[in-house]
Amino acid sequence: MKYDVCIVGTGAGASGVAHTLTEAGLKVVMLERGGFLKEKDFSKDEVAYCKRDIVTPNLKESYHTIEALENGKWVKTPTYVTESSFFNGNIVGGSSNFMSGYFHRLKPVDFKLLSTYGTIKGANVVDWAIDYDEIEPYFEKVERLVGVSGEVTPYKYHEPRSTKEFPYPPLDEHPISKRIDQSCNKLGFVPYKTPRAILSKPKDDRANCYYSNYCGSYPCSSGAKGSARASLLQPALKTGDLTIITHAFVKKLVEKNAKVTEAIYIDTQTKKEHNIKANIFVVAGQAVESCRLLLNSKSKNFPNGLANNTGQVGKNLLFSAGGVGSGQFDAKTMPLKELMVEGLFVNRSLCDWYEIEKMKGGIVDFLFEHANPISKASKQRWEGSKLLWGEELQNKIFHKFTATKQLNFEVFNDWLPTDNCFVSVDEKYKDVYGVPVANIRIGAHPHDLKVAKLLAKKAEEVLKEMGAKNILSSMSSYPPANLQAGGCRFGNDSKTSVLNKHCQAHEVSNLFVSDGSFMPTGGSVTYTWTIYANSFRVGDYIVANWERYNK
Amino acid sequence: MTRRVFIASTLLAGTALTLLPQGEKTHIRVEPFKVIETVQKVLFPKGLKAPSASEFGATNYLATVTTHSSFWKDDLKFLIFGTELLMKEEPTFLSMNSEKQDKALRDFVNNSSKGENWVSLLLFYTLEALFSDPIYGGNKNELGWKWTQHHTGQPQPKKMWAEEIA
Repeated sequence: MKYDVCIVGTGAGASGVAHTLTEAGLKVVMLERGGFLKEKDFSKDEVAYCKRDIVTPNLKESYHTIEALENGKWVKTPTYVTESSFFNGNIVGGSSNFMSGYFHRLKPVDFKLLSTYGTIKGANVVDWAIDYDEIEPYFEKVERLVGVSGEVTPYKYHEPRSTKEFPYPPLDEHPISKRIDQSCNKLGFVPYKTPRAILSKPKDDRANCYYSNYCGSYPCSSGAKGSARASLLQPALKTGDLTIITHAFVKKLVEKNAKVTEAIYIDTQTKKEHNIKANIFVVAGQAVESCRLLLNSKSKNFPNGLANNTGQVGKNLLFSAGGVGSGQFDAKTMPLKELMVEGLFVNRSLCDWYEIEKMKGGIVDFLFEHANPISKASKQRWEGSKLLWGEELQNKIFHKFTATKQLNFEVFNDWLPTDNCFVSVDEKYKDVYGVPVANIRIGAHPHDLKVAKLLAKKAEEVLKEMGAKNILSSMSSYPPANLQAGGCRFGNDSKTSVLNKHCQAHEVSNLFVSDGSFMPTGGSVTYTWTIYANSFRVGDYIVANWERYNK
Repeated sequence: MTRRVFIASTLLAGTALTLLPQGEKTHIRVEPFKVIETVQKVLFPKGLKAPSASEFGATNYLATVTTHSSFWKDDLKFLIFGTELLMKEEPTFLSMNSEKQDKALRDFVNNSSKGENWVSLLLFYTLEALFSDPIYGGNKNELGWKWTQHHTGQPQPKKMWAEEIA
């Protein structure tokens, strides 16, 4: 059978396309590397979801090499050596199942970094091929369909909205949020109410949030979290036009006359190879894996990988710059009864420094340390460089769990695109199927750290004003594995970009890339909202131009 | 008796055993787990309120999770290697009283980074046993959660390793 459209991946970048196409009656097949787990299967099992490679490939089966600068040389280290996976959720719905759902839109300035701030030496900053107004209707669509809860906080850099308020009211807040507000007001900062991709009210088959206290890193058992699976794929399946093939690892896209003719995948359970034919192919396997697939899809016309005759595939990979910080609270700073309330959200950010004088800034999100007890307890075994055990360790754990709470903050700012951050493939490193794995060179521009530190200082001021103890922050140039974008950036010039403004490959007309890979610059917020919005936009373009491909 | 309970009990009972995680042979002789069990008792003794490693099933947990394909094989090898190293440096460790065992373990940690890394790793898995869902054989009767007044997230797993519920 030949499908209308074959989509590689089932995450946020894939699901907006699938939802739009099946709504228009097109026959769509999606290829997912992992299995199909649903609400009934999910639990708050820290061992399975947070401590082992269960919902990501076993690193002996597949891995990445991380290429870092060591003593002036770029050195590749496989992730099975470091035990640090760069996969982020290989089940239907992808990593969106495991997100925390801190949702921020990009701001108009993010589409025009080059023309607003000019060049930065050593960075490949460009303007986007579209502006904010073109994607705004899709940001709004995400609010409705994926479900975003919140309340608009007016402040200096707020992006324009086509609707007045969020479709879902804010989630219930922890008592500490009021204290953040008070401290921000004293300092003259705007306490920004963080929108969340979590339903505060039921929607269709999805129940509202039940405040499990185990949100980020876990799949949601009520369907409240706006995962691609719960919010878009389950409704799309109801059309009868969507087929999802699970345990399907796509190793290659086959090209003929500058068109993709089929996808070859390996059934990871039977180890057998299969192929899928379609008129259009959409790649959305998360930035790194999408680049890997194109780079590994070599042919006579494309000896360096599909759509890569200009050598742009994999280049200008982005992560999110920033880091984390924290402060400790106990009965001296807040009544224990209030402090130890579980499950409710902090939902506060600082966005006042989205632009800092003549420089692009970023945001800060506040959140409690995760409830995960294994992770919390195991950190207690070290006191500096001294290993604790016995009564000493027991007392420390007991105090940590019963008398204190840690308020964290996370800084997000632009990871500037540079020549030292990219995806490549290397015949020397292959997965268990004999397919070269993705190598990720992780060089970061020093400017990123400078901005991150400025933002961290502002967050520290808030914690100090609140009376927190042991305020620490650690801004880092090491990339967060779960915040990937770029690598197949879009643009109007085919020499410097992989995709055109519709996220269609310049060189291969029936190939689209609809995950975060298209982003030429990342903005200073987490990517998921933008990825969802753009996925709907790409879906609309394919539907509007369908007749051209239906041959 | 399920296979994993069988393995756990056999390990602790003192019979030599071959574990077969995912078709790959990993031989574990019985002594390593005896050493591990003894060390875990030192690392997490019975406290005024805290449950002891034996009470919450620290070794049982390890015997369960090490049989699964997701358990890091390098960790398993290192756990076993460390028991051999400890026995080499402290041959009478198993028969010492608990005070002397604690002292011997502190010497072991101070004498080499390998010793320190091993105790740290074993302590990590001991704490994993204390705070994981009881479905994995540790945190018996939710002793770890009760002791620290921790409320786990709901729902709890009905199956290990995030397997699909039929």
